[in-house]
Amino acid sequence: MKLTRTATALAGASLFIGAMALAQAAGTETIVTVVKVTGINWFNRMDEGVKEFAKENPGINAYQTGPGQADAAQQLKIVEDLISKKVSALAVVPFDPPTLEPALKKAMDRGIKVVTHEADNEKNTDVDIEAFDNTAYGASLNEHLAGCMHQQGKWAVLVGSLGSRSQVQWADGGIDNAKKYSKMELVEPKLETNNDGERAYEVAKEVLRKHPDLKGFQGSSSLDIIGIGRAVEEAGLQGKLCVYGTGLAGEAGKFLESGAVNGIAFWDPKLAGLAMNRIAKMLIDGKTVTNGMDLGLPGYNKLQVTKGPGRGIIVRGQGWIDVDKSNYKQYAF
Amino acid sequence: MMQSIPAASSWFKDRQLNFLLGVNLIIVIVAMVLSHGEFGGIDNLQSMASQLPEVALLALGIMLSMISGNGGIDLSGVGLANLSGMIAALTVPHYVNGDDSPLLYTSAFVALSLAIGLLGGVLNGLIIAYLRLTPILCTLGTQLVFTGLAVALSNGASVHVDYVDALSAIGNGTVFQVPIAFCIFVAALLLVGWILRQRPFGLKLYLMGTNPKAAVYAGIPQARMLIGTYMLCGLMAALSGLIVTSHTSSAKWDYGNSYLLIAILIAVMGGVNPSGGYGRVLCVLFSASVLQLLSSLFNLLGVSQFFGDCAWGFLLLASLAFAGNLRLPFKTNTTTSKTPATPPRT
Repeated sequence: MKLTRTATALAGASLFIGAMALAQAAGTETIVTVVKVTGINWFNRMDEGVKEFAKENPGINAYQTGPGQADAAQQLKIVEDLISKKVSALAVVPFDPPTLEPALKKAMDRGIKVVTHEADNEKNTDVDIEAFDNTAYGASLNEHLAGCMHQQGKWAVLVGSLGSRSQVQWADGGIDNAKKYSKMELVEPKLETNNDGERAYEVAKEVLRKHPDLKGFQGSSSLDIIGIGRAVEEAGLQGKLCVYGTGLAGEAGKFLESGAVNGIAFWDPKLAGLAMNRIAKMLIDGKTVTNGMDLGLPGYNKLQVTKGPGRGIIVRGQGWIDVDKSNYKQYAF
Repeated sequence: MMQSIPAASSWFKDRQLNFLLGVNLIIVIVAMVLSHGEFGGIDNLQSMASQLPEVALLALGIMLSMISGNGGIDLSGVGLANLSGMIAALTVPHYVNGDDSPLLYTSAFVALSLAIGLLGGVLNGLIIAYLRLTPILCTLGTQLVFTGLAVALSNGASVHVDYVDALSAIGNGTVFQVPIAFCIFVAALLLVGWILRQRPFGLKLYLMGTNPKAAVYAGIPQARMLIGTYMLCGLMAALSGLIVTSHTSSAKWDYGNSYLLIAILIAVMGGVNPSGGYGRVLCVLFSASVLQLLSSLFNLLGVSQFFGDCAWGFLLLASLAFAGNLRLPFKTNTTTSKTPATPPRT
């Protein structure tokens, strides 16, 4: 029994020494990035951006953390602990923006700078940064589609859910853009796919049956492109049909290879992480973001500033990335 | 047995309590050294004390259901907590204006969410007592019902609660620097402790958990006991939901979806016997505080949350390994099916 106790005590001690070793040296300023959940590709990629920022700014202690489980409660606890730690700035990607309002208000009241991402409805934030303006992003996707279709023919738009504000804005941006081209005929505006790849596949098949002479698809949810890709492959229409939409290189890669999907677009969480931290540093230094400012990051060269729903401002870049068969492998997340 | 208030000399006889107190102490000392005293700052203490109640109240519910024996467990706590907060958030503003009468608004809010919690608990109790469903299956089912109702009521989005001073104070305010949420938790702790130790209900609950068959022959009304127990569980869940709603000024169906397993972990690490008949409120309190201290320490040091999970697992194993004198009832319980009477435990 004595031996077991000694062993347990030793194990306990090593645990704390481990914790001590992991503890980072305190810098003068601390910027902590809190993500929705740790351990998934998207936020691992964001962590690369945060680490790059830390390397650029040796005087600042910048690191990323987040809950191990996807739960708003766990994220809230982390934010509260960081507030009592009196960090200089918080860069948060909220799991559920309304849940964090009282905590972020407390942070701001205590003089902690708050930067958020993917939360343009967050009231208690200094700056909310969005990778891009949704309408402009949808228009850009559509411009690629129009180019592929030689500005003529029938085309259709799919959205994951009509309740998703950003997806509907992407679709509308594309539809508006296509009005420039009189020969492009929109036959199916905004068909819903319930954010489900299987449903997207069925919807795409139905559309192809109804319009055998269809020339183009624009997808919105990242799963739309997967469903459309499957339907196009099955119909053997690779190369005869143009397909563009939001997607992730890892998921859509095989359809890009087969030619069933011509191109996808997304934003890079690494750049978003860098942008959040750079803005947080500016806020700490007493500066603010102004219209047309350049963050020195691709896609964040000419920022658009608008007033937010609460105390802060919303900053938008043009940070989308268009990839096709030739270069999707660079973005493995 | 455990009903008598221990004399000063027997205070150190509970190995589980000693173990938990020791671990608490070690963590606090290590944390103070590592953080150069920052850990003991009033801000951090307040932050920890206001984070603890949400999950610790759920752990109290788990403890009560486990003591009742026969595989008792309440999996529906988190779902009921969110549902009670959400129904109050959706209903009360229609009848009472928060700006004109903040106190009435807050009392209506509190009363309604607690009522929903009690109702949900009674539902669990009725199903377990009269339909004779295993508690784990019954509460798994009601958990899905509660969560599903919350999704349907809110369409999956979070429900905003308008800012009213008195209501917001429940989750965010302090009295003499002590967070009100923590005071509520302590009150719940005292209530449960008093019921378990001083009331006949508590004695009957421990007896029923130790040997259900003997309890029946002793004339303990099993159905009424079960309904009462799960009603208390529901009350704990509703208190937790009330604190969450006030703390975040919103109610969402999936808030705290990671709490269930943590609450079970707290109860088991607090020495509660999963097969019934034993559990001390004080141990559950210190078990909850261990987890809170650890997770806040790791956040303070910027250590990965996964490392925190690993440390929790290690602690649970350590507590099972050498604070385990209280798991004897587990053995007696399995043999009760063959022998009609259990020897009295001291």
